[in-house]
Amino acid sequence: MKYSIENRAGQSLEGDVVEVEGGRYQVRVDGETLEADFADVDRLGQCAVLLGDRSFGASVETEAGDETHLVVRIAGFSYSFRVFDERELAAGVLDSPGPGRAEVVRAAMPGIIVGVKVAAGERVEPGAPLVVLEAMKMQNEVGSVHGGVVAEVRVAVGQTVSAGAALVRLEPPTDG
Amino acid sequence: MKPPFAKLLIANRGEIAVRVLRTCRDLGIKTVAVYSEVDRNSLHVRYADQAFALGGKTPAESYLRGDRIIEIALQCGAEAVHPGFGFLAENPGFAAAVATAGMAFVGPPPKAMAVMGDKIQSRQEMVAAGVPVIPGMTEPCPDPAAAAGFAEQIGYPVMLKASAGGGGKGIRVVRSAGKLEAAFRTASAEAEGAFGDGRMYVEKFLERPRHIEVQVLGDHRGRVIHLGERECSIQRRHQKLIEETPSPVIDAATRAAMGATAVAAAEAVGYYSAGTVEFLWSEGEYYFLEMNTRIQVEHAITEEVYGVDIVEWMIRIAAGQELSLDQAVQPRGHSVEVRINAEDPELGFLPAVGKLRNLRMPSGPGVRIDSALYRRMEVTPYYDSMLAKIIVHGSSRDQAIRRMQRALAELNVGGVKTSASIALEILGTEEFQSGVYDTGFLERWMAGGRPQREPYAREAAIIAALHRHHLARRRSIRRAGGGGLSPWVAQGRRTGWGGGGR
Repeated sequence: MKYSIENRAGQSLEGDVVEVEGGRYQVRVDGETLEADFADVDRLGQCAVLLGDRSFGASVETEAGDETHLVVRIAGFSYSFRVFDERELAAGVLDSPGPGRAEVVRAAMPGIIVGVKVAAGERVEPGAPLVVLEAMKMQNEVGSVHGGVVAEVRVAVGQTVSAGAALVRLEPPTDG
Repeated sequence: MKPPFAKLLIANRGEIAVRVLRTCRDLGIKTVAVYSEVDRNSLHVRYADQAFALGGKTPAESYLRGDRIIEIALQCGAEAVHPGFGFLAENPGFAAAVATAGMAFVGPPPKAMAVMGDKIQSRQEMVAAGVPVIPGMTEPCPDPAAAAGFAEQIGYPVMLKASAGGGGKGIRVVRSAGKLEAAFRTASAEAEGAFGDGRMYVEKFLERPRHIEVQVLGDHRGRVIHLGERECSIQRRHQKLIEETPSPVIDAATRAAMGATAVAAAEAVGYYSAGTVEFLWSEGEYYFLEMNTRIQVEHAITEEVYGVDIVEWMIRIAAGQELSLDQAVQPRGHSVEVRINAEDPELGFLPAVGKLRNLRMPSGPGVRIDSALYRRMEVTPYYDSMLAKIIVHGSSRDQAIRRMQRALAELNVGGVKTSASIALEILGTEEFQSGVYDTGFLERWMAGGRPQREPYAREAAIIAALHRHHLARRRSIRRAGGGGLSPWVAQGRRTGWGGGGR
């Protein structure tokens, strides 16, 4: 099965995974072929992986139950990916190629909006603060993961929001 | 040896409650936990000999209900109450009420707590005791005009601070006269809203200061000693993230001088139990900041280098025992602590919530974990975001840092974003490695587009693809194999054989 693996910065890597026998694979990336051995140790995220003869005790989790959205941790470093298989790519699951992607920024927890830093039409960089949310006695800047153009600001200062409430909707930048 | 108390109630939750419970076990003291509705399954509840529900979710409905906690303590026959930190730990009313109810409060005298809890009053006491303080107002200031006048006298930059402040609220740095009035009004309004007290004071703002604090221990007979300093300058919005001891800038002579100053500060208010005198250090000068009249989050690094259990001493002192340690105690080696907070450093340290699925804890030589984490734990928005502390000890600063890097590489907390990854990055910076950093370092470094170190980016991408492939395959097998249970498990469930044990 062919996969497209996209990192936070929007760079993608094409990989072809072929199972040789239970738990052993051949992986082709960028014209290189690797022998891989993958074991899901506890079904909670601990994985024992061999890539060639290099050994990794990695941790892999899906984000918010989304199987295409994986977080991989190796030796304390954390990597976030979107992984699509060839069928999903053919069906056009991605809204757009590259880093641009529609995004709804949500409140991670209940709180009060104490600041709104953007307006509709504004272009924002990944990580840029959009809204200031007061929760747990702290003021927190809520930012966008992917950046883009602000399509809609759904909250105003003083408003109480529940966990998961949509705060700002972003669209991919039009100029690619 | 007879335990100092037969039974002790811990009026707290999370990591610090477990920490206190452990020392109680070491001493042979029976333990009583209290818990809120959402903490029913918490480790502190499971570790205690007895546990009582407080109800509620928010702190106000649970761990701040002093009357209810005292009632429970009396009912179950506790002889002492340890408040941990936060919640009721620095509430002189609660401390006095515990004593009035005939139990020992494991902490300082309520009067010392009250004096040190008031920024202005504590400053006046410290000036009187000859403890150096930052040039600034000795009386609270109600309006911006008075603040502007004083700022002219001591010179800009100045800092505006709320009289009743804490947790970074109601604090503003002002670099020029033109900006003072607006800053005063917003900070004062913030303080009024948060603490019901909008009074402010103005002080000299120190450039590139380091936050260095001194641990003190005192007993009822008036004997006070210090256990050296802790360097706490790696902080963000006044929330510490990494602490170490000894401080890279403190030599033995300065340690002795700062220690003596801290002891004088404690003696001036008739202090006993454990406490921390916080100083700002700038270019070789140090100034009293405040005294925390409780056990501190970062106390463990002091324990590691001095080989002393500070919580044990708090309990012994509360039972009226004499401090048998003397000032001859010497630190050995170097210790570093990293706080594991539920927050996302990539999104401005936004507090994170969620269910903790995947968990791998570090261990091995020189690694100590003070933690409340367990698999399938729900991280809720109701309490402080600190989940665990990793503490390492090494024979040198280099060894301690390398051990912390190793420990953080071993750690996995999945399902909830934590500050561990950013701590690992900070440890690798030239500033941290060289020990030349100040309280502004973390924010400057974060804002300066820190270099992205991604040593395993390609491997991680391949592992992500393998994992996705594995998930799809597992699902197809489950579909084909009927519900995913092996025939043995399915048979076991039908015949009522449980999985057995835990």
